[in-house]
Amino acid sequence: MPEERTYLIERNGLTLKNELDASSPKFLRDRYAIAGVGETTYSRGSGRSTRALGTWAVRNAMRDAGMEPGDIDGMLSYSGNDSTFAPFIAGDLGIRLNFYMDVHGGGSSTEALVGIAMGVIEAGLCKTVAIFRAMNGYSEVRIGGTGARSAPPVTGDQLHSRAYGWQAAGQMFSQTFMRHMYDYGTTPEQVAMVKVAHSHHASNNPKALYPKRVTVEDVLNSRFIVKPLHLMDCCIESDNATAIVVTRAERARDCPRPLVLIRSVAGRVCKPRSDMHYQHGPISTVAGHYAKDILWPNAGLGPGEVDITGSYDAFTFTTLLQLEDYGFCKKGDGGGYVSDGTIQLGGKRPNNTSGGHLCEGYTHGMSMVIENVRQLRGEADDSCPAGQDGKRQHTFDYSEGGCRQVKDAEITANLGWAIPGTGSAMVLRKG
Amino acid sequence: MIYQRDTMAYDKPLPVIDNESRPFWDGCREGKLMLQHCAECGAWVFYPRVLCTACHSERLEWEEASGEGVIHSFTICHRPAGPAFAGETPYVVALIDLKEGPRMMSNIVGADPESVRIGQSVRVTFEKATEEVTLPKFKVIS
Ligand SMILES: [Zn+2]
Repeated sequence: MPEERTYLIERNGLTLKNELDASSPKFLRDRYAIAGVGETTYSRGSGRSTRALGTWAVRNAMRDAGMEPGDIDGMLSYSGNDSTFAPFIAGDLGIRLNFYMDVHGGGSSTEALVGIAMGVIEAGLCKTVAIFRAMNGYSEVRIGGTGARSAPPVTGDQLHSRAYGWQAAGQMFSQTFMRHMYDYGTTPEQVAMVKVAHSHHASNNPKALYPKRVTVEDVLNSRFIVKPLHLMDCCIESDNATAIVVTRAERARDCPRPLVLIRSVAGRVCKPRSDMHYQHGPISTVAGHYAKDILWPNAGLGPGEVDITGSYDAFTFTTLLQLEDYGFCKKGDGGGYVSDGTIQLGGKRPNNTSGGHLCEGYTHGMSMVIENVRQLRGEADDSCPAGQDGKRQHTFDYSEGGCRQVKDAEITANLGWAIPGTGSAMVLRKG
Repeated sequence: MIYQRDTMAYDKPLPVIDNESRPFWDGCREGKLMLQHCAECGAWVFYPRVLCTACHSERLEWEEASGEGVIHSFTICHRPAGPAFAGETPYVVALIDLKEGPRMMSNIVGADPESVRIGQSVRVTFEKATEEVTLPKFKVIS
């Protein structure tokens, strides 16, 4: 193996670890913004095509950004043979594209595509990029992967897994969860608190598909899907589309909504042996362990300065593992961190204040970015009454059916999960 | 010894055998767990590929492995991976640290799933699926 170079070099007034440092130039910090966010209703059975859903979501994000079709000239989407590509959505909205790309992928794509959007705008390919994810994750291609997804023949990387009944996401990740319990003594009761917290958040989110508050006992009494995952440790399946608009900070200043700046992005960072992540031990460490070394230096801040996290909750465990590996607590202490009240509204650093994928709806990550943007604007869409200026008057009373706006939220971190071995992340700040 | 499944027709997903993996599957049919071993740096390589992952040498030679290992982690699937596995639940999908080094995925068979533990010693056993494919599975020996 080549010797790792560890000398320090100075560039743009910042010290980089070495010449191979993959972090993006620091001068893009705060230079880009998320100017618009939008989504469709979250449903189980949309009765609409992914083309219709995607068109609605992008239109909603454009309206939020105060933009006309002529203002958008770039488009990015992600999917897994279950959606509609960008040119169709653009065509339906009267948008002429100077750049588009549709990439393969699910969770961890949103943050990575924000990074790509910044890059292509920076390179002069286009000016403003709409990013969308449109899916009928309940009525068409179920994300659990045991329906339509189980049909294709076994080739490539699946040669040595599919034959053994290793297919759905829960099956793919559970060995990691089991090993974490073994290595660190993490308990099912601790992990269940992620679902409890997110269900409390969802109860204050009129959009949430599952707004009912649950208890640790509810989670532990639900049936096993793949041990150690109970039914309630698993996210929901839903039909919906979500969209965001990325543009330069100076352009976003002209938009109607409060400014939200992109501080730092890490995109699809992988563990060693990205072909079969579990071949590289310890498997209870996930990609965030590596992504954090790009995310925090680029952001110029650390986990201690973050007010809200959006740690991807495909399962209760994924939230825990990422919070731990991004440094929100000591490695191995994730069980304590997610169960001591920190991640709940009213706690020190709430996670997934919308209810996330466990309770609000499943969007492969984008809804968690949308939520953090609204939080930084001070515009969480809860049931608090609107004042005379039309702005919501948040009560900061987090009891059931109440407020979910975090007081004085300045900095958020999204931690996107694809698999234990691959993840993306993004830090946003109030402009 | 190769265990013959008593199913009428095998309907679970099967590997599409390619030139890189053929010796592995040929070995399984003969009741041997074959791994690639690098003639230049001595690394053991799984799953089958064209270059050594450690030194990029092309000199990967097929050798019979001990078939012994330790359970690194596992999961008990109460919900099947598609209808073909419905009759198998609950079944154990495990990661096995082979004595030679590589970590391999397989099923733990012949044991009550609830008795399976991380750290247990296991030994390979073979299950014939079709004329072409025999799958390596593992039995707990401690
Ligand atoms: Zn070698």
